[in-house]
Amino acid sequence: MLREDEISRRRAFESIVNNFSEQLYWQIRHMVLSHDDANDILQNTFIKAWINLDSFMGYSRISTWLYRIAVNETLSFLNKQKSTVPLETDQDGEMSIADQLESDPYFDGDLTERQLQEAIATLPDKQRMVFNMKYFNEMKYEEISEVLGTSVGALKASFHIAVKKIEEYFNNID
Amino acid sequence: MKEEKTYKFDEREPRRPFTVPEGYFENLTQNIMAALPEQESIYSTSIKVTPWMRIRPYLYAAAAFAGIFFCIKAAVGITSRNSQTQVAQAQETTIYSDEYIDSFLETAMIDDWTLYYTLVESY
Repeated sequence: MLREDEISRRRAFESIVNNFSEQLYWQIRHMVLSHDDANDILQNTFIKAWINLDSFMGYSRISTWLYRIAVNETLSFLNKQKSTVPLETDQDGEMSIADQLESDPYFDGDLTERQLQEAIATLPDKQRMVFNMKYFNEMKYEEISEVLGTSVGALKASFHIAVKKIEEYFNNID
Repeated sequence: MKEEKTYKFDEREPRRPFTVPEGYFENLTQNIMAALPEQESIYSTSIKVTPWMRIRPYLYAAAAFAGIFFCIKAAVGITSRNSQTQVAQAQETTIYSDEYIDSFLETAMIDDWTLYYTLVESY
């Protein structure tokens, strides 16, 4: 279906974008928090998918393939961000993530939700990815396993550890 | 007595606290599609031939020929040098016969020691 001429390729790809853009957006947004960054990463994800459409062999589902591209794009964005922007904490008068979210016009959570985001931000990138996929996007472990190439058992353990860390974070601030 | 409060994550219902600009998702597909490059430009950029790519096969071929040439030259050089040495040795041994040397020694008026010394020196 996707290997026909240019017009039909575009039409087919448009239906893919239409089906998956929103769920991919939320996956990215939970990782980078800012709407503008999430939008840029989403655009890059679909551009990469479009350019490499011929390399999609159909061994996995198109959604899994797109998620993989989005995950890689997000992780490389976060790595780049870490190397250029110093980690922002509430020490030395710098803004914490909870403070940043409070001033973000596209965040409508209460204090607990801001603190939850702050707690999630303390997790390592891949553990955060697993947590967001499971908790906010309500993906099954089998689906996450296909995207991240990690066993279901390891994902369950990772999610369990993430929950424990978040609980610990809240217990310490109470 | 202070009551100890522990946070239980499972009690929370997952809620997405983020929002997006108005009409963002309505126009998202259109915006993404508009940002995609043309397929022709993808192919032209993905198989873009650089000058280095163009001259590379010729350079490799020239290097291979040069290598073969030097190998042959080296092999021929060694063979000819060996044959020249053999010719030189053959000339030295065939010019003077035993009879000639005997008659030369008889008339040379030199003792054995001088003969030995001469041979060792010349050797």
